[in-house]
Amino acid sequence: MLLSELILPVLMVMFMLTVGAYVVAVLDRLIAGAFGAPQAGRVWLAPMARGAWLMTQHANATEAPDWQAWRLAPALYLALAAIGLAVVPWSESLVATDLVTSVVLWGSVEALATVVIFLHGWSANALLALIGGYRYVALGLSYILISMFVLIGVALPAESLQFTQVVASQEALWNVIRQPLGLPLFLIVGLGMTFWGPLNLADSKDLAGGTASEISGPPRLVWDVARAAMLVAFSGVAASAFLGGWMGPWLPGPLWVAIKMLAVLLVLLLLGRVLPRIAPERCVTLMWVVLLPLSFIDLVWAGIGALL
Amino acid sequence: MAVNWLRKLASHKRAPVFPVLGKQGDKALRYLALSPEIELVDSPRHASVLLIAGEVPADRLEPLRRVHDQLPDPFTTLWFRNEPWPHLENVDRIDDLTDLPAALTKAHRELMTGQRDSGCRILSDRPPNPWKGEGDFGQGGEGMMGGVPYGRPMAMNMQDDISDGLTLDSLTFRLGPFFMAFPPGMAAEVTLQGDLVQSWETQLEPYPQRLDAVFFNARKHPVPIAEIELARARHHLQRLYHALHLAGLEALSLSSLRLAYGLSTSSTLDGLRRRLVRSGFFHLAAVGGGVLNTEQARQFGGPAARAAGLADDLRSHDAGYRRLGFSPVCQDGGGVSARWKQILDEVEQSLMLARQAERDEVYTNDVDCIETPRGPWDEQPPEDASAILDEVLPGLEWGDALATIASLDIAAVADGGGGTQSPGESRAVPGGSGNVVK
Amino acid sequence: MELLTLLIVLLLSLGAGLLVQWLPMRHQPIATYPQRAPFLGGGTPDSHAWSRYHVRYYPMTLLLIAFEMEMMFMYPWAVVFVEKGMMAVMEMGMFLAILSVGIVYAWREGVFKWQ
Repeated sequence: MLLSELILPVLMVMFMLTVGAYVVAVLDRLIAGAFGAPQAGRVWLAPMARGAWLMTQHANATEAPDWQAWRLAPALYLALAAIGLAVVPWSESLVATDLVTSVVLWGSVEALATVVIFLHGWSANALLALIGGYRYVALGLSYILISMFVLIGVALPAESLQFTQVVASQEALWNVIRQPLGLPLFLIVGLGMTFWGPLNLADSKDLAGGTASEISGPPRLVWDVARAAMLVAFSGVAASAFLGGWMGPWLPGPLWVAIKMLAVLLVLLLLGRVLPRIAPERCVTLMWVVLLPLSFIDLVWAGIGALL
Repeated sequence: MAVNWLRKLASHKRAPVFPVLGKQGDKALRYLALSPEIELVDSPRHASVLLIAGEVPADRLEPLRRVHDQLPDPFTTLWFRNEPWPHLENVDRIDDLTDLPAALTKAHRELMTGQRDSGCRILSDRPPNPWKGEGDFGQGGEGMMGGVPYGRPMAMNMQDDISDGLTLDSLTFRLGPFFMAFPPGMAAEVTLQGDLVQSWETQLEPYPQRLDAVFFNARKHPVPIAEIELARARHHLQRLYHALHLAGLEALSLSSLRLAYGLSTSSTLDGLRRRLVRSGFFHLAAVGGGVLNTEQARQFGGPAARAAGLADDLRSHDAGYRRLGFSPVCQDGGGVSARWKQILDEVEQSLMLARQAERDEVYTNDVDCIETPRGPWDEQPPEDASAILDEVLPGLEWGDALATIASLDIAAVADGGGGTQSPGESRAVPGGSGNVVK
Repeated sequence: MELLTLLIVLLLSLGAGLLVQWLPMRHQPIATYPQRAPFLGGGTPDSHAWSRYHVRYYPMTLLLIAFEMEMMFMYPWAVVFVEKGMMAVMEMGMFLAILSVGIVYAWREGVFKWQ
């Protein structure tokens, strides 16, 4: 019992973290190459080479950082991604942690992600990192509401906050079709959570790398791996909440989840390449004035759909 | 042992290079941007090779020393068309642009495998202010917020915020000559409150830019309009590359650069323009703000003035251009998005003029006054315009301020012969993907 | 049991993150002061970065708190929604409408400008 209920789930989550982060790196490089970035060398070796280089580089220091917070922040971000992955159901019985309130847990992961990213920027005590951290918080506080309304909408037909129940409720029709506004809004939340592409306000180019401008070496490696792992965790949750999780013909459940996660990852990585970085003001206005009302509509739609 | 294996794997990584731009350094930057073996990074912490591209004037040597020491170990330097400092050992000097990617890769690989030692630090290991053991608790502070805790004072510069009047701490700092979002060589002293610029004072002007040789020839004798218009379009597309790179549209920025390299009379801007509009650059990215009023626009000249609605273009006085039916294009607004629309319109106009002029073999007529891509060149070449930044930037948010700088062609035009590289070099494209312009 | 698993996952990933950062750094010498200076393109700062930073989106956070309280109500509401039927829809609809007035007011007051 100890093996199946404790050790196996933990191993599963750790495995998905590392493999997932690697897959994200490879996919991102492939997509960049498809969009015209000059490529050289083997795509599957490049993330390993980058990891090796970061391990051999010295970790940078600043004059007077908050050492504990600075070193904790990447590790905490990784831990949040791991917790997010732990609630993703791979089949009816194969879940790392089948909590009754897993939607609430995912909501808290999202909220804490804002805290952790801000901490990473603030604790370096360097100007560009600080601006990146503070700028991100505006975005972080805005996307969390959209995410919650969309996930509540998904929980309504399931009559439960448990992700396994949410997936089970999609037996008749997937939520991506039943609640069409849900997945696009949730994808925007995913971009925000990992500050990817258009919503990269934390580590952006106009801040010379933002919160990451003062880190080098192993802390930078952990930060980048944590970001990729969070993308993986997010895509797992999106696949469960909107794309029917383990449901599908012929193939076993876990394989379907992996395929759907890959699909969501591809969409996120593509969006990251195609859209420009949104100005923070425009982003916040858009989220509160356009996207939040849309999520209200999604909720009402989901409610009416659940009652019928 | 494990470290050796790790380092061997690390040597396979694309060389991470932080470019420090001296005079004429941006040509090397654009060449490397298209090179597959090099990864150009924004912060020296993310690099293992420091590339000093071009000659760095004496007043920017102290910032160069600071940036040199900011790279974490192991690191090395490479000097391009610049003499390395004498006390540095085992660093190379490269003069040929096509050798640069290979030299950078070699430097990184040798550094990783241990054949080359990491560079040594230049500046002395002293804090900015002595603080150890001083002050109330030994950390250098005095009283509540005074003194120099851990070497620097706390931010206490309290002025009313210019947008909503709150009095919080302002952060004053000098943003140096080697910041990637600035024109090469520009340094400014900035005061921020939050992420809004409170005051901006340009301290070092950007290096004067060397335009294509055809513009200098046009002041001596008539030149084919096709050639001068292609050079103009190339200049604008290279500036577009920098702005798109800053805005996060990496793929489009490289397309713009490739278009610039392979520019000929049969090129077309339609594909790039369509992709740019569809990506949402004119609505989503930081394209609000940065408006020049009429007086500032007139002082600026060139496409920035035309984007503000002033239809001044020296080409309309030229008989050759009049034969081709030239009339200046304008936008109204004078903001960042208006300027970029103006640039795109001017590139299209230049390509159209070049096509017509090549067919009809038209030459320019006037040699006294020509319109450069930077502005009108009457008696004096266009001057540096960094003073305008001091007026326009305060009140803008950080991203908007940098986008405004990217949209303005601030550097003066260097008065002198056209460039120091061989004629075939500016057409060299890494990876061999471009067409060579005749 | 699941909470124990979750705790172990948390501790393990946190530990892995910290270990990967600490292990290679054990024998590295502390960086020199010039290396530790913040990167500003070669320029120098006047002071430490920590300051009373002007957070321009502060009014937005007040609006957020109102919505957060609503979210707390919605979690149990979602579970009993189908049972309660139309009444639940109307109640939550009223709550949302009242808060939407807050968003419109904030928008007109320029809360989202300069964040």
